[in-house]
Amino acid sequence: MKNSPMEALARNSMLILWTIFALFPLFWMLVISFKSDAQMFNTTFVFDPTLENYQEVLIKTDYFKYFLDNIIVSGGAVIVSILVGVPAAYSLARFNFRGKEDLAFTILSFKFAPEILVVLPLFLIYQKIGLYDTYIGLIWVYQLITLPLLVWVLRGYFEDISVEVEQAAQLDGYKWYQIFFRILLPLVKPGLVASALLAFIFAWNSFTFPLLLSGFKIMPVTVASLRYIASDTVHYGQMAVAAVVTATPEVILAILIQKHLVRGLSFGAVKG
Amino acid sequence: MAHIALEGISKSFGKVQALRNIDLTVRDREFFVLFGPAGAGKTTILKTVAGIEFPDAGLVRFDDEVVNLVEPALRNVSMVFENYALYPHMTVYDNIASPMRSPLYRKDEAVIKQEVQKVADMMGIGSLLERLPSQLSNGQRQRTALGRCLVRSPRVFLMDEPLAHLDAKLRHLMRTELKSMQAEFDTTTIYVTHDYTEAMSLSDRVAIINLGEIVQIGSSDEIYYTPRNEFVAKLVGEPEINLVDVDLVSREGTLCAVFAGTDRCLPVNDDVAGVLSHSTIPKWRMGIRGLNVGYCFTEEENCVEGSVYNLEPIGNKAILTIKVGESLFQAVAPNDLRAELDSPIYLKLDMNNALFFNGETGDFVVRHNQAELVRGR
Amino acid sequence: MARLTLKNVFKRYRNKKNEAADYAVNDFSLSCDDGEFVGILGPSGCGKTTTLRMVAGLEEITRGDIYIGDTLINNLHPKDRNIGLAFEDYALYPPLNVYENIAFNLSAKGVAREEIDRRVREIAPLMKVDDLLEMKPAGLSGGQKQRVNIARALVRNPLVLLLDEPLSHLDGKMRQILRTEIKRIHNKIKCTTVLVTHDQLEAMSLADRIAIMNDGKLQQFGTPLEVYDNPVNVFVAGFIGEPPMNLMKVSILEESGKLFFLFPKKGIRVAVPSRYRSALRSGMEVTLGVRPTDIFISSDDGTGSEVTVDVFENLGDEKRISIDVGEEDFLTLMTEDERRYKKGEKIHLRFHEEKTHIFDPETGDRIQA
Repeated sequence: MKNSPMEALARNSMLILWTIFALFPLFWMLVISFKSDAQMFNTTFVFDPTLENYQEVLIKTDYFKYFLDNIIVSGGAVIVSILVGVPAAYSLARFNFRGKEDLAFTILSFKFAPEILVVLPLFLIYQKIGLYDTYIGLIWVYQLITLPLLVWVLRGYFEDISVEVEQAAQLDGYKWYQIFFRILLPLVKPGLVASALLAFIFAWNSFTFPLLLSGFKIMPVTVASLRYIASDTVHYGQMAVAAVVTATPEVILAILIQKHLVRGLSFGAVKG
Repeated sequence: MAHIALEGISKSFGKVQALRNIDLTVRDREFFVLFGPAGAGKTTILKTVAGIEFPDAGLVRFDDEVVNLVEPALRNVSMVFENYALYPHMTVYDNIASPMRSPLYRKDEAVIKQEVQKVADMMGIGSLLERLPSQLSNGQRQRTALGRCLVRSPRVFLMDEPLAHLDAKLRHLMRTELKSMQAEFDTTTIYVTHDYTEAMSLSDRVAIINLGEIVQIGSSDEIYYTPRNEFVAKLVGEPEINLVDVDLVSREGTLCAVFAGTDRCLPVNDDVAGVLSHSTIPKWRMGIRGLNVGYCFTEEENCVEGSVYNLEPIGNKAILTIKVGESLFQAVAPNDLRAELDSPIYLKLDMNNALFFNGETGDFVVRHNQAELVRGR
Repeated sequence: MARLTLKNVFKRYRNKKNEAADYAVNDFSLSCDDGEFVGILGPSGCGKTTTLRMVAGLEEITRGDIYIGDTLINNLHPKDRNIGLAFEDYALYPPLNVYENIAFNLSAKGVAREEIDRRVREIAPLMKVDDLLEMKPAGLSGGQKQRVNIARALVRNPLVLLLDEPLSHLDGKMRQILRTEIKRIHNKIKCTTVLVTHDQLEAMSLADRIAIMNDGKLQQFGTPLEVYDNPVNVFVAGFIGEPPMNLMKVSILEESGKLFFLFPKKGIRVAVPSRYRSALRSGMEVTLGVRPTDIFISSDDGTGSEVTVDVFENLGDEKRISIDVGEEDFLTLMTEDERRYKKGEKIHLRFHEEKTHIFDPETGDRIQA
């Protein structure tokens, strides 16, 4: 491959353009979070920065409660998905049983259905059985988001580990749970970490489910942002603050794990 | 150390019958080889002994105790897998140490260190202990897998094609090393291979497996000199044994083998003739190994005329293919032999080493000096 | 049919950073006589396939000249070189049947239909594919596909036939059958043929002469017997022959006017053949090379070297003895007698005087007597 200076310049310019295009919304959000409502529409980059919005959102409302709700619901959903998904992925990878592929596809198909389609019947059912507006209810429904991802990524990982490796460990004298924790878990760890973090982010961003299945006692930040649309006016500044705070953990996570994420989600990591 | 018996083992995978009614006994401290083509069921037998495959029918006994329901870990066996089955996330050291760290066979870290070093030196991988399996060549992985197997003193070693993925030179060296270490093992060993040289070299006894059934069990001499049928005969030896349809005719009081397209009479040995003349088998096939096929360029007694079909010098010898009628014979010749293709040549068979098979079933019937060859060694 | 000549051919690839990498083919010269069957043999990555591809015109030549007959073909388009090429992977056109596959090249060239038919029907029985002409490639076995592939290369009456690992995908029995057939067809049509292979057995059994390559360089070019009996260096000595030649580091020891090869770790000594007297001195280190078939067991008359049998293997057709001489590898010999040896048994060895080779341990080159 040739690599002349002109080509390098062209390629780098394209990358810079793309970076600006991709990061501008985040930057814009950050900018308006420091604007007062008065300056919202008549300034662009030059304005008097104020922390007023931050005070309003973080101190005067229950924003931390919403933040905590989101952590509990998303974190809980991921933990449940790991507990259920790892054994499920293992079984799908290792055992042959009737309807195996159908079952695997069914789990994947959870992700196909538009959320708005399933949420209405769920709303009625949840009201009836008392899961409406509870942590458990949300964690449960979040499985639609987190479980398919984990199962499908981990199934690939388990399939990559040859059965003989487990059999060798059996003959070495290990019990099944020792084999699981000493041999299998370390081998699927990259995939587990990557898919769990990705699942966490998806759960964190979820909006439709918490909007309709909770709202009084429990309110994740995504839904809470709506509160800044008052009946008379939209508090863009406060909304931006809410969005910035909501996005921060995701941005930090994404930066921390990006290498891990790319490697972890591409299969075949235990070859050789 | 144990003797192991399989009684009427059958096993199917879906619609495929992998093993049919396998009966065999491996004696205490015996080096027992399971030999056969790919897909014959050899590995399944080995895994049944290990307990990681469950037979649909039949019993597995260790020292007369039925172990069908004993977990693999508790059977105290040690196995080399064909695909090595090393733990990818552990170093060579940890891989070899693994059996001695499990709750069942736990040893002191100090003892482990000593044992690992000893077995690693024996396998010639002493300098690689800190590496991960992904940083090793195939040969080194194979040695690591062997090391992990040999580090323990189990009741039985199970080895599944441990040399299959090595290149020719390394395979030759490792086979010799295994053979040289054999006396030190002093443990019952079951060894699976599809390479006849490994089977011949390493075994105390060989079981030949085909299509999930045992075809023959015997010493390497028995397998070589008196193969149970044509299938076994073809499996052992390079070049492959020559098999040709013959008619048995009596001429002037001597029994002769005459093969298709010729009228040349090849007198068979008296002891063979005794058996053959009393047989009612209508069709015969004669097998003769390349080593026992001679040739000459002028007509001699008991020679059969043919033509040079091919001549391949392959280093220390040449493979001479002679066409007689429609049959091809491969002979082992010196590597400096010169001959034009399609030029006339005479085939001279060493009838002392001819094997006679039933032409319809392919079963072995008789050869010269049979009893002595198998028993006398 | 014609001579094929390669004169000082080089090939260099450029790496990603646009730097010139090492030569893939380095000053390679070869002359292949009219009608000759030449094998290019070497381990993977030695440059043998690159060489073949340069002859075929699929790869640019960095430097040097290639001639077919008297024509310089460096700048000729592949289709104008009049070369028949059969690759390792069969590369048959799946929608066409066998007949059409064989005929494809001729019809692309606009050869008259009757002429095509005549040639296909001529070549098909030769490759034993005349019963398969109506079949599609998908229905063929590996051996049949390779036959069709070679038929397709031969049908255009090429000046030179190039075969790139034609047998490596086939199983043992099929490989042997096809090997025999290739040899017989060559004997019949006498087309100048170049075979590229990594399998020494294949090269030895098929080729009139073998060019052995390593690291892009020609190591030796000679008849199978020449390269087997007189390898020019350690590489050739170790690459040719099965079981492989014993290659061992030894030192030279002089005692009462006689020279010995000494295996230092075990103190085993073997008499040096007299022809090496002038080339060797006491204290020198050399690599000793002797084939397992060129070591004999002698009676205990004081002339042989006493060693201990470490491993005896009865392989049926042959018997091997391995002796631990303290090196990484065993010293291996083959015996033809019916005797069975035991581990620990003492035997006396003698090396074949004419076939004992010595190599410079630094350069690997053979030391001439």
